Amino acid sequence: MAKQRNSDMAAWILSAPVITLLVILAILPSIQLLITGFQRADIAGPTLNNFEQLVDSKFAVQAFWRTLRVSVLTTVITVLGAYPMLYCLRRAGPRISALLLAITIFPIMVSTVVRAFGWNVILGPSGVINKSLSSLGLIDAPLKLIFNEFAIVVGETHLLFPYMVLALVAVMQKVDPALEEASLSLGANPLVTFMKVTLPSSYPGLLSGTLLVFSLAMTAFATPLLLGGARAPLLTTLLYSYAYTLYDWNRAAAVALILVAMAMAFYFLQRFISNIQMRSYGK
Amino acid sequence: MGNSSAISSSAMWNIGRYAIMCFAGFWCVFLVAPIFVVIVSAFTAGDYLTFPPSGWSIRWFIEVANLSWFRSSFLTSILISTVSTAIAILAGVLVARALARYQPKGFVFIEFVALSPLILPAVVLGFALFNVINILEIEQHALANLIAGHVLVTIPFIVRSVWSAMAGTDVSYEEAAQSMGATPTVVFRKVVLPMARPGILAGSVLAFTYSFNDVSISVFLAGSNAKPLAVELMSNMEYSADPVPAAVSTIMVAIAIGFFILVERIGGMKMFVGK
Repeated sequence: MAKQRNSDMAAWILSAPVITLLVILAILPSIQLLITGFQRADIAGPTLNNFEQLVDSKFAVQAFWRTLRVSVLTTVITVLGAYPMLYCLRRAGPRISALLLAITIFPIMVSTVVRAFGWNVILGPSGVINKSLSSLGLIDAPLKLIFNEFAIVVGETHLLFPYMVLALVAVMQKVDPALEEASLSLGANPLVTFMKVTLPSSYPGLLSGTLLVFSLAMTAFATPLLLGGARAPLLTTLLYSYAYTLYDWNRAAAVALILVAMAMAFYFLQRFISNIQMRSYGK
Repeated sequence: MGNSSAISSSAMWNIGRYAIMCFAGFWCVFLVAPIFVVIVSAFTAGDYLTFPPSGWSIRWFIEVANLSWFRSSFLTSILISTVSTAIAILAGVLVARALARYQPKGFVFIEFVALSPLILPAVVLGFALFNVINILEIEQHALANLIAGHVLVTIPFIVRSVWSAMAGTDVSYEEAAQSMGATPTVVFRKVVLPMARPGILAGSVLAFTYSFNDVSISVFLAGSNAKPLAVELMSNMEYSADPVPAAVSTIMVAIAIGFFILVERIGGMKMFVGK
């Protein structure tokens, strides 16, 4: 008993710096955010006014639906794209698959601003795509490929594709390649093997990847800011413009609280699902 | 008859396989394209940003190196990322030890707090800090605020990677040192820390990179006396049509390549794959 109490003490002493830092830097500011979100300068006491104004604002409601649309599209596209990649990673030789993995992972290390800038150069009115199309004589006026939802989806897909692949790869690492080899040697062709053996064993990774990508898509900031612009705001960029162009911090706080609620819902969903997985797959 | 159906199914299979390989190839191009385009167009000899560039030169890199905003924000970024990573290591290693070695009452609480910056969106954390800073009227201390914000978001990177490195080590080494009379401090310094080193290194690189690239938090905390490079680049991108942002981006990509190689050397790409 005394030993347990001693080790509890040690653990809490070791945790004290991080807990102190995070209480000051995350927990207290979050509580203040809660207060600010339910406050209005011209109204005494807590009020729902900020949220009512958001619901009444067509712009804010549009931003909410746009956020969901962009996140769903991004998630679906990354899932559809990640499987061919996974197939090649599983079936290619060690050198090729290391190269493929490096190409997939490297963009994570590059600033989101730089990546959005790259898409700017490709999709912009005098960008790579528009210039090549017009020099081929296919278009007269540049296509509007940027500062809209399309550009945000492209940018966020680029942002989050690596995470989906990594989620699948992480799960598939634990799957014995002998399973696939057995299927192949019993006469199933590689495609059938992939559909019947590889795909089902990847479902836990698909689930965790989907949750991760969806929640990151909802909360991305620099990408929608630089590729969507002010005319196609998501919740995150709406928050920024309330704070910085309208100086309405109460309403910005209300948007932030909506984002927090969505993030928390996802966090608990994730925990819930991984608990179920732990129970049904063993440890 | 059996023969012909075997041929057609193998032909089918080949088409399917090539289709999949084309898809994967498409994704490789998609992933590389924006980064490639930026790097190539930075080496233009012309006055405007174009792809393909009009002639080759490194004049825009020389131009950038002489820009005062680039110099000061680059140094600011290095300073912020170094200091915040260092603080995050000091605090994060201790809490990782607590989580890996002990099963204290309140384990779930400690874990939740230590990883909470990953649960909340970075923009929300940035705005929440901005809100408090405005109420306390300390917005003129932009550098300190930025460091505080970056400590907040880098702690989880250190905790996760150090925790998993520590969880994978054998307790019997510590017990051996202990039974031979080493004090807990000596055990920590001579046994625990060296074994956790790969985790600490990898976590530091990821934390530094995240901090160096961050805009979600920084955009709310930057002031006229302290602006990180990524924030400066973002505002510069919106206004200039010359290749300056491309050259700055290329420099940031070069740094990313350096860190990528470093991570590879330390722990291999499995650092990214594991949780």
